[in-house]
Amino acid sequence: MKLGKLNLPLIITLLLFGAFVVIPMGSAFEYSIRRGLEGGYGLQNYLWAVREEDFSYYLIRSTWLSAVTVLITLVILVPTLTWIHLSNSKLRELIDGLSLLPLVIPVVAFAVGAQISFPEFIQSSVMELPFLYFILALPYAYRALDIGLKAIPLKTLSEAARSAGASWLRAIVIVILPVIRSAVTATIALTFALSIGEFTMTVLLHWDTFPTWVTYVAQDNLLGAIAISMIALLVPFVLISLVALLTPEKEIKESN
Amino acid sequence: MSKENLILQSISKRFGAVHALDNFDLEVKVGELVALLGPSGCGKTTALRVVAGLERQDSGAVKLGGRDITNLPAHLRNMGMVFQAYSLFPNLSVEENVAFGLQMRKVNKRDRQKKAGELLELVGLNTQHKRFPHQLSGGQQQRVALARALAFEPEILLLDEPLSALDAQVRSNLREEIRRLQLSLGTTALFVTHDQEEAMAISDRVGVMSHGKLEQIASPDSLYNNPATEFVAGFVGVMNYIPGYQNGKSVSILGSDFKVKNSSGHQGATSALVRPESITVVAKENSSNAVVVTRSFLGASSRILCKTLDGTLIQALVPSEESSELIPGAKVQVKISANEVLVS
Repeated sequence: MKLGKLNLPLIITLLLFGAFVVIPMGSAFEYSIRRGLEGGYGLQNYLWAVREEDFSYYLIRSTWLSAVTVLITLVILVPTLTWIHLSNSKLRELIDGLSLLPLVIPVVAFAVGAQISFPEFIQSSVMELPFLYFILALPYAYRALDIGLKAIPLKTLSEAARSAGASWLRAIVIVILPVIRSAVTATIALTFALSIGEFTMTVLLHWDTFPTWVTYVAQDNLLGAIAISMIALLVPFVLISLVALLTPEKEIKESN
Repeated sequence: MSKENLILQSISKRFGAVHALDNFDLEVKVGELVALLGPSGCGKTTALRVVAGLERQDSGAVKLGGRDITNLPAHLRNMGMVFQAYSLFPNLSVEENVAFGLQMRKVNKRDRQKKAGELLELVGLNTQHKRFPHQLSGGQQQRVALARALAFEPEILLLDEPLSALDAQVRSNLREEIRRLQLSLGTTALFVTHDQEEAMAISDRVGVMSHGKLEQIASPDSLYNNPATEFVAGFVGVMNYIPGYQNGKSVSILGSDFKVKNSSGHQGATSALVRPESITVVAKENSSNAVVVTRSFLGASSRILCKTLDGTLIQALVPSEESSELIPGAKVQVKISANEVLVS
């Protein structure tokens, strides 16, 4: 790698990355290993966190809800976006615009909307959350998949699959999804990360998940809560890495 | 392999105000290779896509022998298709691409591999079976696409301008290979192209299309020598349009009278349609009726472009050994050697 004029943007990017990501993370980590009033550093906050009886319950609950959100996102978005791209429909611009609405509509409006419109049996189940998380993650998930689908010759590939005997579902699962693997992984990552850390909507709808529990714990043990947050940061990272590893790595390059 | 004729009956398809297919009829016989030839937008690709089930016609029927497959989804039609754009699945190896259709038909893995191996050998790529599409050249990719389309023994092989993205040498080799495979496997094939040379070289019959209709369908020889319409005459091969005067069944051009093939009894000014090889050009200083504009050496023959006294440009194809004097500026006598001509 040359060190010169050309690398200035890279250096600036790394510095910004350091300032906005590494420094806060490093500071949080440093805080999480403090011994409190005794002074010095140690792992007792982490040990306390994993010994907390509700720790695993809420972690598993949030992980499960996030996984369901990812599933809902993929099942709804992949066929919809595939159809939008293939049909060249004028609806595309409208749907593009609609997908951004969750960024401008206040979360409280979604929460109230859910209370009004969801049937009673959904409102009484924590499973209402994944549907709402899906809406919150929509702007990011939509764009990640949209970019992936734009980058491939979707029409030709799907028609080649269909003419060779694949139904629409099989064409999407066997051909399209593996070809847009990186976009799908990005969608999973974004949706999972947003869902597992979602707080406002969950609190407004009076449900308890990992982030709400951490807030509750922080009232009594701030250092312990930070240690829990650090562990929680690792969960999406590990799961997303697993998804990337479990998806067969094949040499995918667009033919030209 | 295919045992039944493919029939398209009165197919119509509109895209907004554009009539892509207008009461289009076609029959492709068992084991035959039929090319649909025409300019861009004439509806040839739409016709192919209707056969494949990738496009839904507004009206009309598609039949395979006695079966009406008009409403059958594309994946149930058992038709192999090769596309213009390289359409290999980039996440699958060459072998997996070829075996894809068999996998969809739930053929077991060992049989799939065996069949894919056979097909890859047929297209000369058996040593490349573990490679991925991006590691192959354009010609190799289209060979794999051809093997993939044939692997599951389709009833009809559909070829949508499969050679147009390739360079001239590869295109020429691959078109011969397509014909060789089609003949050896006895597959019925429908081939869409805008390249008349391609269509004429490998097809049993060529259908010339214009504005969503079939202008004429015939063997390449018959199409070239006996074009049914002015459009076919102009589109297939090179044609000269020489001004003349029609008098019922005869026409007077370049000072001689000729029988009119497509006589409509018209009386008056007209244009006679004459192929370059039906024109002789002889260098004559005294009794000349034209001047040579350019001479293009093509090997065995040379193309001579002449300008007559009234300013008409005429192309002639003459044996190269007789063209040494036909240099630009030379005074020549242009004559028509045909007995009959078409008029527009």
